[in-house]
Amino acid sequence: MSNTTLRRGIGRRLFRAKPTELIPPFYLWIGLALLCVFTLAPFANLVLSSLMEKQELLSGHLFPKKFTLINYRQLFGGPGALDFVSAIRNSVVVAAVTTAFTILIGVFASYALARIKFRFRSTALFAILAMQLLPTISIVVPLYMMMRDGVTVGIPFTDIVWFRTPPLLNTVWALIVSYITFSLPFAVWMMTGYFKNVPKEMEEAAFVDGSGRFRTMFTIVFPLAMPGIAATSIFTFLTAWDEFMFASSFTQTYASKTLPIAVSEFVGKHSLDWGLMTAAGFIASLPPVLISLFLYRYIVGGLTAGGVKG
Amino acid sequence: MARISPSPRLGLLNRKRKDTLFAILLLLPTVYVLCKVFIYPIYQSAVWSLFKYNLTEPGDVRFIGWGNYLELLKNHDFWVSIDRTFYFTILSVAAELVLGFFSALLLNQSFKGRTFFRGSIIVPWALLTLVNGLMWNWIYQPGNGALSQLLHRAHLLAPDQNPVWLGNSDSIMNFVILADVWKTTPFMTLLLLAGMQHIPGSLYEAAAMDGAGFWKKLKHVTIPQLMPSVIVAVVLRLINAIRVYDILTVFTGDPTTSVSYLTFNNAFRYFYLGRSSAMAWLTTLFIILLIVVYMILLRRNSDTD
Repeated sequence: MSNTTLRRGIGRRLFRAKPTELIPPFYLWIGLALLCVFTLAPFANLVLSSLMEKQELLSGHLFPKKFTLINYRQLFGGPGALDFVSAIRNSVVVAAVTTAFTILIGVFASYALARIKFRFRSTALFAILAMQLLPTISIVVPLYMMMRDGVTVGIPFTDIVWFRTPPLLNTVWALIVSYITFSLPFAVWMMTGYFKNVPKEMEEAAFVDGSGRFRTMFTIVFPLAMPGIAATSIFTFLTAWDEFMFASSFTQTYASKTLPIAVSEFVGKHSLDWGLMTAAGFIASLPPVLISLFLYRYIVGGLTAGGVKG
Repeated sequence: MARISPSPRLGLLNRKRKDTLFAILLLLPTVYVLCKVFIYPIYQSAVWSLFKYNLTEPGDVRFIGWGNYLELLKNHDFWVSIDRTFYFTILSVAAELVLGFFSALLLNQSFKGRTFFRGSIIVPWALLTLVNGLMWNWIYQPGNGALSQLLHRAHLLAPDQNPVWLGNSDSIMNFVILADVWKTTPFMTLLLLAGMQHIPGSLYEAAAMDGAGFWKKLKHVTIPQLMPSVIVAVVLRLINAIRVYDILTVFTGDPTTSVSYLTFNNAFRYFYLGRSSAMAWLTTLFIILLIVVYMILLRRNSDTD
């Protein structure tokens, strides 16, 4: 084969797409390189900044001449360390308790909505979806008053009250209660979708064997939908971890500040410490980033199941 | 059969009634909690929106009908915030759609290392919203921020020039849009990628046989096939972009940059509960409209499946 035809052959392969595809390899790789830079460069800047000393940051270096862990050491050993650690603890507690409570009561509602035919079922589903998509701002003011006065347990829309909690502002409970407002509709909507996908025949076979609804729910539907329940738990945890508006309106003290609030305060009115902020931001983002990378399949499945907030 | 119920019809009816009872039992905790923390509060805010209700003047709470709403329509700040909210929403969703579409096209091809590339795009999505805002705020810092540094090094900016990028609220919106697009494009990409994976390769093959190149394949195969996913993804993003708040608090103290921000400030800085409830309800009604559109689209998509 002569040199020119060989070159033409390579050229053809580089610049012509396979018939079943769209983009020729040459442009594909240019596009991928651009995509990669656009996605990873800002994050790399965050990580590199957290590994620089103050003087380097102030002089505008993009790459550190000398790597240092001083920001991280200060974060966990400096004067504000206790507050930061308590913010981590609050975030973990709030996200974990919210998730546990949401799944525990949501799983039953989802079963009913997915598996039992009753009147107003589609109306109920519409209401759930609407509640999930409505913004925090719709209810933040009444919830603030509720937290200020203490949450009552009684019959809504009447004056009948069985008991009343103490005021919840500045406690993690205010956040747990308010996070349930978005996590419960979300979890019910998502799990209903997963439960619908469990084949009906399996359940009917169990009915024929004399097993009641309650038992088939636990022995057939829940185990088969376990990946879905797990995905829902992950999403619930991540959204609670990320929440800002409720956290900023209901918490003023370190007894209940969560990570987003703590991180934002490094660059607040009182200080402008980009080194500490980038280190704290990296630590706060590490759990969701790792969870998303390791559980990529669940995350993508959940996102495309619909209704996840962007 | 060991036992025969008096009439099979009655047995079925009984079972149906038992099922309904069971469903009610299962739904009860969720319904109770949601009534308590969602339905009742949103009803309460509708009531408050008709009152003059300032926490700072507890003695002067009175019914004023549509007063809060009428006052808002005459309020200059409110209109400015609506303008900026729409500017943000439309521009960021449009940019996300274009970028997300092309990213999904790339990631839908088969090539070496696809898992790595698909995985890497989830990093921005997973970053905390607040951290994303702070990270971009750091990038936009005049002088030592990465944006100024890069422009100086590329000689696109003279060494003696040092613009303050986040100077006024109108230009801030553009920088906020860039930050938001960076974070939410992966969401769009993943939704569209899922849609693209359902397009059979044979359609492209047939188009290629007719001599179609990249743009023709895009126009005649990809776009029409992908339309349902695109519309659903866009409406979902509109619903979420229009509530923008978190990221703005990092960039600016100016509450007129979004309706949510202005509502929040009226509620928690001035404690005008009546007026902020009215603002919240206007937002709520608008979003409910979008939700209805979303529901109709979802139903139509599941019908065609």
